[in-house]
Amino acid sequence: MKFIVIRSNIKDAISVIEKAVGENTNLPILKNILIEAENNTITFTATNLEIAITHRVAGKVIEDGKITIPLSLFSSLIGNIQSDRLNFEKKENNLEIATDNYSAVINGMPADDFPITPKINNTEGYLEIKSIILKEAIQQISVASQYSDLRPELNSIFFNFSLENLILASTDGFRLAEKSIPANTFTIKKKEPFKILIPLRTGLEAARIMRDDEIIQIYHDENQVLFKTDQTEMISRLVEGSFPDYSAIVPHEFAAEIVVDRVEFLNTIKLAGVFGQKNSEVKIKIHQNKKAIEISSADQALGENNSILPAKIKGDISEVFFNWRYLSDPMKGVKTEEVFLGLQEDAGPALVRSVSDSSYFYVLKPILKS
Amino acid sequence: MDLEQMWQSTLGEMEVQLTKAHFATWLKNSRPIDKKDDTLFVALQSNFAKTWVEEKYQKNIIGIVRNMDTSVKKIEFVVGNKNISFNKAPSEAKDPQAGASAELDFNKTDPETGLNPKYTLSSFVVGPSNELAFAAAAAITEAPGKKYNPFFIYGGVGLGKTHLIQAIGNELIIKFKGKIKPKYVSSEQFTRDIVWGLRNDRIESVKKKYRDVDVLIIDDIQFIGGKEKTEEEFFHTFNALYEGNKQIIISSDRPPQSLPTLQERLRSRFEGGLIADVSYPEYEMRVAIIKSKLQEMNRKLSDQVIDLIAKKLRKNIRELEGVLKKIIFYEERKQTDISVKMAEEIIEKATQNLSKRVNDAQILKAVAEFFSITVEDLVSHNRRKEVVEPRQIAIYLLRDISDLSYPYIGEKLGRDHTTAIHSYEKINHEINRNPALNQKILTIKDIIYKS
Repeated sequence: MKFIVIRSNIKDAISVIEKAVGENTNLPILKNILIEAENNTITFTATNLEIAITHRVAGKVIEDGKITIPLSLFSSLIGNIQSDRLNFEKKENNLEIATDNYSAVINGMPADDFPITPKINNTEGYLEIKSIILKEAIQQISVASQYSDLRPELNSIFFNFSLENLILASTDGFRLAEKSIPANTFTIKKKEPFKILIPLRTGLEAARIMRDDEIIQIYHDENQVLFKTDQTEMISRLVEGSFPDYSAIVPHEFAAEIVVDRVEFLNTIKLAGVFGQKNSEVKIKIHQNKKAIEISSADQALGENNSILPAKIKGDISEVFFNWRYLSDPMKGVKTEEVFLGLQEDAGPALVRSVSDSSYFYVLKPILKS
Repeated sequence: MDLEQMWQSTLGEMEVQLTKAHFATWLKNSRPIDKKDDTLFVALQSNFAKTWVEEKYQKNIIGIVRNMDTSVKKIEFVVGNKNISFNKAPSEAKDPQAGASAELDFNKTDPETGLNPKYTLSSFVVGPSNELAFAAAAAITEAPGKKYNPFFIYGGVGLGKTHLIQAIGNELIIKFKGKIKPKYVSSEQFTRDIVWGLRNDRIESVKKKYRDVDVLIIDDIQFIGGKEKTEEEFFHTFNALYEGNKQIIISSDRPPQSLPTLQERLRSRFEGGLIADVSYPEYEMRVAIIKSKLQEMNRKLSDQVIDLIAKKLRKNIRELEGVLKKIIFYEERKQTDISVKMAEEIIEKATQNLSKRVNDAQILKAVAEFFSITVEDLVSHNRRKEVVEPRQIAIYLLRDISDLSYPYIGEKLGRDHTTAIHSYEKINHEINRNPALNQKILTIKDIIYKS
């Protein structure tokens, strides 16, 4: 194996695949990455046996071949080399890197020992979508999820494709977020409606490595999902189990409907959160004049605070308590200037969404106060 | 050979061929799902494993499997925990062999509870020697955790301890329709789990496994004696379950107070519940056992032969079962009924094997050791109480194990042959009535056979 490649290309490849490198397993080769050179393309692969990411870069391949080397060493080496043009050559199980005035040898391991990346069974049908749309959707809904070993189906992102739209949803049992992407923003190739659960980590990783200007293709079979762009492929297992049927918990009627400025609201919650570090509670109440809401928090040891925020209000409600972090999370997902807040009596679930854009919503359960 | 077994031995061979890391990563959690025509279906834990195994080990595995079962031509690997089931073809006309294998399947130990369904309370033969234990077991199946907690059962090898405690578990499953979760483990398995937990930093999950059950059954508890960490873990598990009113059932080869290495706090807890022993079955009971075994196997033997077996094999039901099986095997091979004479020969052979390994000196030494006296004391003319009983036991054992003549035994111990006869008969009589004596003799036999 012998090839020449531009340093920045390798840097890109490393940043794309590095999170897939395995840690703490009894198979040390998972700490390595696989480098394959063929047809003037150099392919980099990393896997932790849950997901595998491959990234291809262009280069001048003089002789085909493959090898695996430890990622951490390779990464710091590439990060510190100053030259732009790098010459690589495999000698037995070692990889030689040379520039005009520098040379290094990395001890590698035979490529045959590296796990083989599984193939997807169904390569006919796929969805094709602009990566920026998918990326934004994942970021919007993943705020409602968190890692939990207990219930893997909650630790995941739900993809529900129904020909009319692609719905992404996630929940951690306390809150739920849903984003729907209309079908006219993506292309469908021979794909029947499907519902799959992808691991949260996979979703976040996919959002991380996607470049905004790319087009991404989504394939899946009975137990794997593949995200594919021109340069990058990421394959992951699916989560077994089914996503809870959440249609019943999404409220449609509210005792009080409140519209506030999103940025001001977010700032006010954060401010209230200063006094809510311990119990995480903020109280929301409608002001007597019905033209503002009061947001307050208190801590017996620290003190208390109270803000008044102008709002458009319909209906009335007694005070409601929220976890302020959970309440601030959807403010990043709602992209418009104003945000709608629907509240119910008796600590019924509250709904947060944009005023003008109905494709995204967030349901949150208030804190129950006896 | 059933699928599980075949796959386990395949894994065994693969484990030898592969490095530890590779085996653990790719094959460890695999399991066979089904065999249909010439294809064996095996589940692996991930797509990575499937791809790897198909690429690298397929040929090898097929080779190993075909050594055991030539009807397998293909192996298909599937991913995941999903239970893939295939419609099984309706079973063909029942030939005897198919019947036998179906029965084996049925008797397979349940991996979840560790119980073997072949042990039931109704197949347990009750007699005076195990009445109390059986009554307690039956009471426990009525209301687990309420009465008799912990239930400690002890007795010599092959007297039905395992049968009884497993039967409690099985009975509970049937009676409470799966609402009560029993778990049966040998103390060795328990120790292994603790060690595994400690080594892999997963002790919490081991704890959870044992504390989540409603009825914990531990067999042969004597083996955890001296394993400190296991004892400690068992102690805490015991307390956690006891606090939660969960039933705990323990078996041992000797009573708690004679478990030498067990820590005091554990011993006192065992003594807090009901302690029941199973001892040697009487003649009538042995006959009943033989008859019930014969019924299980769908066989018949003449009354004389049954009488002979029951008379000759008095100390161990497992041994009795073994001899019985041997006799039936002979009958099958020779295609004739077994005469008393043939039975006698078979029994002779079966029991001789055991005694041949032991010589007189070993027996005397073991007895002396057990009572903390010297062999000289045994053969001396000393008639102190501390020496008389050991001497009688020694005589009994010489006769019982080695089947020596009375004059020879007398000579050996510097006694008259009538003394030897008297001693033997005395102990032989006492042994059925006095469990403490029985226990002593069992322990001495242990020493003899283990030396």
